[in-house]
Amino acid sequence: PKQWAVLKRDEECMKLLSAMTQVVPPILSVTPCRALVDEKFKVLVENLPPGCPVTVRSLHHSEDKDDWEAYGHYVSDHSGVVSVSEDLSYGGTYTGKEPMGLLWSMRPVPGSRPGLRLRKMNVCTPMLVTISVHSGHEGFRDQAPLASVLTERWYMAPGIRRININEQGVQGTLFIPPGPGPFPGLLDMWGGGGGLLESRAALLASHGYVSLALDYLGFDQESENLEFKYFETAFNIIKDHPQVMPDRVGIFGLSLGSLVAVTLAAYSTIVKPCCIVCISCNHYYPARGSTVTSKFEGVTRWVLSLSARVNEDNQVIWKDVALEFITDPSNIAEVGRINCPTLLVNGCDDQNWPTVETAEDVARLMREAGKEHLLSRLAYPDTGHLIEPPFSPHFRATTFVMRSSKEKVILLWGGQTKPHSDAQEDSWRKILSFLQFHLYCGPNLKAKI
Amino acid sequence: MFLLSRKTIMFRAHMSVTRIWQLIEKRMMSCISVHGKLPGLQRAVGEVRRKSSFRQSPLLTATPVRALIDEQISIKGRFLSQNYPVTVCAQMHSEEGDLWEAFAHYTTNASGSINLTSDHSVGGSYVGCEPMGLFWALEPALGSREGLSLRKRNVETPYMVNISLLEGHTSPSEGQRTELAAVTTERWYMVPGVRRIEIRQNNIVGTLFLPPGPGPFPAMLDLWGEGGGLFEYRSALFASRGFASLSVAYMGHKDLPGPPHIMSVGDSYFKSAFQLLQDHCQVDADRIGVIGLSFGVVLTFRIATRSGFKPSCLICINGAVGSPLLDEDGKIKMSESDQKYWELDDRGYVSFKNVSLPDNLPPESKQKVENITCPLMCIVGEDDLCAASTENADLIEEALRSAGKSHQFTRLSYPGAGHLIEPPYTPCARASLWRAKPEKLFALWGGHPAPHAAAQEDAWKRILEFMETHLRR
Repeated sequence: PKQWAVLKRDEECMKLLSAMTQVVPPILSVTPCRALVDEKFKVLVENLPPGCPVTVRSLHHSEDKDDWEAYGHYVSDHSGVVSVSEDLSYGGTYTGKEPMGLLWSMRPVPGSRPGLRLRKMNVCTPMLVTISVHSGHEGFRDQAPLASVLTERWYMAPGIRRININEQGVQGTLFIPPGPGPFPGLLDMWGGGGGLLESRAALLASHGYVSLALDYLGFDQESENLEFKYFETAFNIIKDHPQVMPDRVGIFGLSLGSLVAVTLAAYSTIVKPCCIVCISCNHYYPARGSTVTSKFEGVTRWVLSLSARVNEDNQVIWKDVALEFITDPSNIAEVGRINCPTLLVNGCDDQNWPTVETAEDVARLMREAGKEHLLSRLAYPDTGHLIEPPFSPHFRATTFVMRSSKEKVILLWGGQTKPHSDAQEDSWRKILSFLQFHLYCGPNLKAKI
Repeated sequence: MFLLSRKTIMFRAHMSVTRIWQLIEKRMMSCISVHGKLPGLQRAVGEVRRKSSFRQSPLLTATPVRALIDEQISIKGRFLSQNYPVTVCAQMHSEEGDLWEAFAHYTTNASGSINLTSDHSVGGSYVGCEPMGLFWALEPALGSREGLSLRKRNVETPYMVNISLLEGHTSPSEGQRTELAAVTTERWYMVPGVRRIEIRQNNIVGTLFLPPGPGPFPAMLDLWGEGGGLFEYRSALFASRGFASLSVAYMGHKDLPGPPHIMSVGDSYFKSAFQLLQDHCQVDADRIGVIGLSFGVVLTFRIATRSGFKPSCLICINGAVGSPLLDEDGKIKMSESDQKYWELDDRGYVSFKNVSLPDNLPPESKQKVENITCPLMCIVGEDDLCAASTENADLIEEALRSAGKSHQFTRLSYPGAGHLIEPPYTPCARASLWRAKPEKLFALWGGHPAPHAAAQEDAWKRILEFMETHLRR
């Protein structure tokens, strides 16, 4: 830990620093400079005067043309080094020893539009982040940086093929790892936010899974026959792919996507997923015969019609109203019918959906059906609804456009930045481990060893 | 709004919330213990896998998958059968479209894994523990044209190298091979943010590379050999390591005056290049070094002793203190060296080594190396067939010793290494096409693949350390 006493020497030190840097600026390095988004990096500043206060800052210009930043205040050691992986940040957007704080604590720069969310829509190009080092702590923005470097964060590993899928009525994007295969497969679905997000499917392909990011919210066929047909067809597109092992296809869903996962696993007679991962699980399934989309619209309409609670920041909270629905046993999916390993991941501060209660309920129902050996659960305190791959920034509340009415509201997702980011990092590692175990390693656990 | 006609669901008696939490805690505990036991389970499951009818799914990984040329890549194979022979194969296409390949034979361990960082190759393009062997042992595929070399022209794009895992001990040229897994790697000469600037001013033909950031940066002047042309890759790597670097062409370039096989520029040309670096607002004018390979070494000594400039350090790779080709002003006075010193092997490939033996150099062409005022690093490949590197290094060492400047001299000498000691993990050409007209001539560089690769790896590390010491700290 650094000596607080050195901060008294601030002014002298900064003068020394500015004199020195006219001759020899500090050396800043980020290793690796090109990495996958779920890989860690080491940020190192060398050649500073000893005991010198500096600020290390990250800056990203998003596809939506907003600027996101994070920063930490550090003091160099006796050899003039600041190591973000090893040293403590004394303030900024994160504090303490946080090797990846420069990414996960990012937030829109002061003066930005409210309710922003960071999502990479084009996964073929990397996310570019500028890391820079500045003199001093307070007012570090007032001067030019002493040094800066650029780092690339990729969703796709080299050699992955990205293929637009538009067949048999199914729309989405398929990602195939390099090599002959055969590979295990994953059907990947995001939540009700709309738009096709490819980022997680691309990342899963980078870990060796043929992944289909499925676009499913544009379809409103109201018919019992078609209820599952869309998803079953999508699942079979993966299963029947020549480079996929047909008995190793799983389903990965977040929020509304997890409702698809549990209902397919529980009710489908056509597809049998090898395992399912449900983030911020939703098992609200009030009636057969209406599609997932219309259920979602139904929920959102009902929630707003019943004046879902709006807090003092004008952020809409769905959780409490939704809790009323799911306490009625006739409104939930019969998860006791699930026959494959299931991983549930949720945040305990989820303000968007009662995922804590849902997870408990799923556990109870599966246990009652004698299926508890199939269930694994991860629950994280102070974590919100949008649990994404690690090091992506946390959004406590973002703008959400209602599909039908086009009305814009600010939805509260919940979570506090630091615990939510810890949850993202921990859960991703465990999710990959779960997938590797069930889809790569071997037969189901019941096989005689 | 909602239809209530659904099948009855299993309905259990309500449980108290406490009981549910207890169950959840129990669940989470068993969940944690399952995760804790996973490695053990994997081993047990592995046993089952071999007995069951499930097909394995081997996985090949490379880390980092996007790397700089001088970075080590860790290659691992998993989920294979245990104690099983496999071949790891690297393939890539050069910019000219030629296929280059390397392969090595390994045996998986009891867990069905291989790790090229620690395992030993028992055959193929290299043997022994060589984490980067698949890259430095690359050779043109069978049936390729003669005398190819791998030297990247466009440094803004990476080399895409496909690494694959094959069943059994086989080679790329054999027909029947079963591919088990593959991974694609990118090998870059530039980190993101490095700026590449074409220089065509003050009669200079060159390319400047600047590191990202405001600077000011220490800088290098980067000089290559008599083959001519403009090679940017070493400068691109220097900039990726925080040094501004200017590569200049001095013959064999379309933008230079005079015929391509003659050096029509002299001392003033290199002075301009050095001056350009000094004048650049993002370069630290007091921290500029010079690096030269082959003929570039003579030029380096001319700059250090005659230009009026005072470089902060010099690096000379496999060169000589003089050349019969240069006149007093540093211009080439004949189109090529007197062929009386050329040695041809039984293929008609030429070794130029004897041209630069100190005894064969015209005395007036030898530079006064004792006049240098800065540290000098001399790098020598002991199997150099193109230049008399060892003999010249001896001469330089003696000249500096006599002048009381031994403390400025560092020599790195590598047995088995050839002439072209370049950035690491790139193949060594023992010979390549020197010129195509009036008739094809192949030059011998010397060097054997494994010792040359070791020399490149060690020399590069030392070069960067030398630059850090004398240009930065």
